[in-house]
Amino acid sequence: MRSIDFVAVAFALLGSLLPGSTASADTGEPSTPLADRQLPAPTSPTNTCASCHATLTDPKLRSPAHEFATSVHSDDRIGCVGCHKGDARDPTVAAHSKAAGFDPHPTHADVPGICGGCHSDAAFMRRLNGRLPLGQLALYSLSLHGRLSVEGDDDAPNCAVCHGKHGILSPASPRSPVNRANVDKLCGGCHGDPKRMTKYGIRTDQYDKWSKSVHGVAFRAGNLKAPTCTGCHGAHSSAPPDTASVGRACGRCHEEELGFFEQSPHSKGFRERGLAQCVACHSNHDIAPASALMVGTTPDATCMKCHTQDEKPRKVASDISELLRGARDGAASARAEFARAETKGLHVAGAGFALERMTTAELRVRGIVHTLDPARVQARVAAVDASAAEVFQLVAAAEQARRVERRGYFVALALAGLVLGTLVLKSLQLRRRRLGEP
Amino acid sequence: MSAPEERPEGWLSDRLGWGGIVASLSTHRVPRRSFVFYLGGITLFLQSVQVASGILLVLYYRPDPAHAHESVEQIVREIPYGNLIHSVHAWTSDLFVACLLAHLFTVVLRRSFRPPQELSWLSGVAALLVGLGMAFTGSILPWTERAYTNARVGSQLAGQVPLIGESLRRFLRGGEEVTIGTLGHAYGFHVAVLPAVVTVIVAAHLFLLLRRPVVRPDKAEHETLPLYPEFIVRQAVAQMGALMVIMTLAIFAERPLGPVANPLQPTPAGAGPPWYLLPVHALLRDAPTELLGIDGARFLAGVGLVLASVVATLPFIDRRGSKVTAWAAIAVLLGLFILAIHALD
Repeated sequence: MRSIDFVAVAFALLGSLLPGSTASADTGEPSTPLADRQLPAPTSPTNTCASCHATLTDPKLRSPAHEFATSVHSDDRIGCVGCHKGDARDPTVAAHSKAAGFDPHPTHADVPGICGGCHSDAAFMRRLNGRLPLGQLALYSLSLHGRLSVEGDDDAPNCAVCHGKHGILSPASPRSPVNRANVDKLCGGCHGDPKRMTKYGIRTDQYDKWSKSVHGVAFRAGNLKAPTCTGCHGAHSSAPPDTASVGRACGRCHEEELGFFEQSPHSKGFRERGLAQCVACHSNHDIAPASALMVGTTPDATCMKCHTQDEKPRKVASDISELLRGARDGAASARAEFARAETKGLHVAGAGFALERMTTAELRVRGIVHTLDPARVQARVAAVDASAAEVFQLVAAAEQARRVERRGYFVALALAGLVLGTLVLKSLQLRRRRLGEP
Repeated sequence: MSAPEERPEGWLSDRLGWGGIVASLSTHRVPRRSFVFYLGGITLFLQSVQVASGILLVLYYRPDPAHAHESVEQIVREIPYGNLIHSVHAWTSDLFVACLLAHLFTVVLRRSFRPPQELSWLSGVAALLVGLGMAFTGSILPWTERAYTNARVGSQLAGQVPLIGESLRRFLRGGEEVTIGTLGHAYGFHVAVLPAVVTVIVAAHLFLLLRRPVVRPDKAEHETLPLYPEFIVRQAVAQMGALMVIMTLAIFAERPLGPVANPLQPTPAGAGPPWYLLPVHALLRDAPTELLGIDGARFLAGVGLVLASVVATLPFIDRRGSKVTAWAAIAVLLGLFILAIHALD
């Protein structure tokens, strides 16, 4: 198929050189013989490929030039020859000579080598853009995608599948498929497609699960710090974390939780039983928001997945659950009290800070739960209670201030009434005097 | 005991020539039963309330779109008694416009504009226009969703004025669109230009009323009152009553601030112009595309300007003994009321 394409290109170009040839091979539109064509000024003195292809009538030959013009590779030091080789200084069809190494259609397996040829060349990349990383090809070679590609699997993604071909944009561009905001759709496009995934025997529900998870919901709500696929699996080195190391992947963000987990009795128990650290309780793609309901002895509590019979763990779960519910209810009533005051139009000075302190204290409670030590949980719950009490205190103070202000209003109103009464009396006195009454 | 002129008040009275002023005011007579005079006095008093409350607000207000709403929020929520001052200013603004319009309407009904009161009338009409301008520019300053809509729609209405409409619209907006320039212009006009102009106009209005009393020479003495002290004390009673009404409204019917303006959002539902612009809004909103070959909105704006000119020149066109003016005024008032109700649909 690729050789046929090449022949078609070659014939199209040669055909356009033949005397009397007035139509493009593919479109049938009249075209000017290349030798007679008045070439526009080339976009650069060394890249005549783009300036010539931009004028061709066949969309297949023209569009790469247009796409390339806005790509991140549109640079004199790279140009079309960076990937396709050939002689870009030759404005004639001889630029496509095999002697110059011209390759119109690099194969799927060739692509990583072509891209990596530059992107692994430290001297070249440092000259071109000192900010760019260098190890992508090495990382890709280690990844499942890279290994499959090397084995000749043309369905395994190579560089061009994710980054694009001629119109490659900087990953910082919002239009780039590998931009932080788009990468979930890029991965989900293949991994959510049962047709593509059948031959690998892997599930296709990860993307849907992630979309509904606490991470996916936060990401969709605009929090670009929430992890997408690459956050846990890596980008060029993409591979699923294994059971023993998954905690490290989560711990990149949830550092405190991982630290507390490793201090807990669970750490040893999980290792011995081969359980995945965080995943055993929180799942992997469909991670639900953490809540006080996860801990406890109720049938739907996560602890009961393993500890239905054990007396001591059930006692710990029950104690921690009680503490968590107390903190949750205390914080909820403090928030409700603040909302009630706000609805009444009351300004509660300092309550915003107290509420933020309370939220931080709640997050710290979530972390310490992983120690499974009720005494340590109690210490952090006390901080939540203290902030909640502060909110109640501030609302009460604001209400008292409002009452004092209201009293001031009524005093002013009474004074105005007094002045009004005096003026009415004076007016009546003047009237009587005018009418000569006693 | 010291002589009267040696006491401090005697010394001051001597320097001010207070005795002469009192004597002059005592001989000046006003009608005993004239609602017109009370409305005028109340309007003047409301203007003073606006100046006093406005000075307190201006101490904290920041006239730029990034901070305007935040600063008004600070006044309402954080400054002691700021909420009361804000509510007083907002309520007084509405009452001020209502009293101005009622004052004008009662003058027309009583035909108190007749010669020799032409100049008093003209100064009153000018004060009305400036007063409306003050209320309107003030409505833009909190930079709420409603304020932003007011600025946009109000300047758009001004753009319909024949001949100078486009320039007027650009001037009011401080550019092509409602931006930081619009708020700057509104603030400048609200706190400096218009108060200065209205002070001069009101001073001229009072001066003309004192120079050309409205009481006709043939009026019986028992139907009139001396301006000082009786009428001034009665005025004070009316003004203190007005103050109590304002305070009661401000305390029991607080004026909520509303959400901050967001130019990127569509016009929020229910955001309409201030109540005194409702008839104009209804007319221009539902104006046909074309009237007599002219753009409909522009045509109606032209008709409005002609009507306003007729009102301004009433003393010169009203015929003695005719009741047409009074009936026309009632008809116009009724028409404006119907249009205002229609605008709320």
